[in-house]
Amino acid sequence: MLAVELAGDAVKARHGSMVAYTGQMTFKKLTGGGDGLRGMVARRLTGEKMTVMEVKGQGTCYFADQATEINLVRLDGRALYVEADNLLCTEASLHTGTSFTGLNGMSSGNGLFTTKVEGHGWAAVTSNGPAVVLRVGKDMPLRVDPGAYVAHTGDLHRSLKSGAGWTTVIGEGGGEAVQIEFTGEGLVYVQPSEKTTLGGDV
Amino acid sequence: MAFTRINGKMVEALVAPGQQLFSQRGAMLAYTGDVRFTPSITGGQGGVMSMIGRRVANEDTPLMTVEGEGRVMFGHGGHHVHVVDLTGDTLFVESDRLLAFDGTLRQSTVFLGSQGGVMGMVRGQVSGQGLFTTRLEGHGSAAVLAHGGVLELPITPGQPVHVDPQAYVGHRGEVRNKLSTAIGWREMIGRGSGEAFQLELSGQGTVYVQASEEKL
Amino acid sequence: MSYPPQPPYGAPQPPYDQPTEPGFVVPPLPPAAPAPPGYGPPQGYPPPEPTYVDLQPAHAPAQFDGPAVHDAYTLPVNDNVNPYAFSVELNGSHFLQKGKMIAYYGDITFRGVGAGLVDRALGQHFNSPMHAADWVVAQGRGKLLLADRSFDLNSYDLEDGNLTVRSGNLLAFDPTLRLKQSIIPGFLTLLGTGRFVAASNGPVHFVEPPIRVDPQALVGWADCPAPCHHYDHAYLHGVVGGLRRLTGIGGASGEEHQFEFIGAGQVLLQSSEKLLAERSVGVVGAEAGVPMGGVPTQPGHDAGNPQTPGLGNLGDLGRRFGL
Repeated sequence: MLAVELAGDAVKARHGSMVAYTGQMTFKKLTGGGDGLRGMVARRLTGEKMTVMEVKGQGTCYFADQATEINLVRLDGRALYVEADNLLCTEASLHTGTSFTGLNGMSSGNGLFTTKVEGHGWAAVTSNGPAVVLRVGKDMPLRVDPGAYVAHTGDLHRSLKSGAGWTTVIGEGGGEAVQIEFTGEGLVYVQPSEKTTLGGDV
Repeated sequence: MAFTRINGKMVEALVAPGQQLFSQRGAMLAYTGDVRFTPSITGGQGGVMSMIGRRVANEDTPLMTVEGEGRVMFGHGGHHVHVVDLTGDTLFVESDRLLAFDGTLRQSTVFLGSQGGVMGMVRGQVSGQGLFTTRLEGHGSAAVLAHGGVLELPITPGQPVHVDPQAYVGHRGEVRNKLSTAIGWREMIGRGSGEAFQLELSGQGTVYVQASEEKL
Repeated sequence: MSYPPQPPYGAPQPPYDQPTEPGFVVPPLPPAAPAPPGYGPPQGYPPPEPTYVDLQPAHAPAQFDGPAVHDAYTLPVNDNVNPYAFSVELNGSHFLQKGKMIAYYGDITFRGVGAGLVDRALGQHFNSPMHAADWVVAQGRGKLLLADRSFDLNSYDLEDGNLTVRSGNLLAFDPTLRLKQSIIPGFLTLLGTGRFVAASNGPVHFVEPPIRVDPQALVGWADCPAPCHHYDHAYLHGVVGGLRRLTGIGGASGEEHQFEFIGAGQVLLQSSEKLLAERSVGVVGAEAGVPMGGVPTQPGHDAGNPQTPGLGNLGDLGRRFGL
């Protein structure tokens, strides 16, 4: 559960994620979810269906989503890429948009687009079980199960690796047929759980 | 006879001769010693009339009586368990969230619609809680189930707490609740903030909120 | 079990009073992870304007807080990263249940058991017509992270011992251990010396016999004589009991049947009655005197995944309007 102390300022949170509050709060649905009309149109096209509300007021507001864990990410001008399902709440100063991940996203079952959060401030990311933060460095590429991937920050390149060989075809595969490989420099958030994905099921 | 917390999802109760305990049927995980589990016909206390009342009110989650001598461990469905110790005050909680409670607690069913009139009726409908809830009062402990962790929010006069009806678990003390709405034209065309209905709790006491919007 | 508030790095103490259990001590802030240039943990940042307070579970160790960054060198060696993720240092081979790898560093290949060269080495580990398809051999060097639907993971060290575990709960094991099918249907027995990882719904609770356990709450047992069935239906005896039985008034308590353990050993309980999906342990040949001979162990009533994927239940208005 996430507690946000508000003193007249605002946060953007996922539609319907408030569980309780004390003090005075107003809830307003934001148009689209991205910034401005373009953001809205982009979202319509991309299917990253994150509806966002703006919470404004005085007091403490509590957010939660389906008993998932909440991970706080501090953004300092860097961009955070996160699955729309996993973004719970951001400071109003952060911009959210959609970015094209290419076919990698599609085959991992995560969709063609991810949400990109930019600016300075805190973002709250949910994960099924507390996320493990893994660093990717020059000599340290990381491979992640697509179903366990939650978010990443930094200058990372994602590519899809197939561990599937002829054994997969005859039904004796390694069970880890598709993996996302991250190279570059940055941090990857991984949850101790696996969403059912197209790739993960192979 | 208090419950001892073993971990976030499991509690242990000591059963001694002459004391009894009520628990949801099938919620026993393990026991040592000589303990008997008897399905409780009346589903708690208060005799037949109270039983009929509960059945009408749909607050008749089957209970069993636990008696004997030994230690019993309770848990259910991987849900979090929260222990509430009552010292003469009252706890309001839905019966299906009640994992186990001391036999020393008086159990009754209350009509929520009487609070707040028509809005109270609407609230029951909206929150999916029905119009009735279970009241426990007296001295003893109760173990309450919740999806995700439980947060206790204090309610003091002049400091009401607003809760999403689906995240509401229960409350104790002298608390009035009413449904507050924020319905505007946006909600009507389905473009609302998703927080159209909130339970407003005011008075003196504590409200229990779970970290999830899922009913049990 | 209220969640103690845990302020994020650099943030001031929460300005409001969180109820905590009497006597509960708020865990100290986690140690800062060593940071390479460019990716410092954010404790140096000024306190954020809206103060976020992350409420961590009471049992959680401090090390997994958001900024605790792990890499190939700082990941624990054969230990838990947090209650739900386990890190294996791989140098050689390791057996794991299919699909439980969530991430890895290094050069690791995954092969289905029964694929090619591996076969020969396997004979000694899978000493039964076990369902090889459910198991994977990870080979190579690196760090491997395991997790299972955010169930609690625990590792167990066996020293020339034996431990029997529900088939769905076993996640991974050292190749030094031998895995055998238990004569109790649906359970697997590990023999020898080594370490294995098992999942449970909620933390595992160890108890010593004598104890009677609800079948669904049983994870496994070590060193105990095999469990036997115990039936509790004393309330069905006598006049009132007879009436109950005839009329069905009052129903069943749901606790008529337990597993009873006696003797010396340890019994492992999971704190919930929701089962992990059972893994097929293979078919026992039909033979006189073999329990369940010739009957394949069916994956039990699909206990359902308590963590349903897809968090798409946003603003389900239908329910809000009582439809």
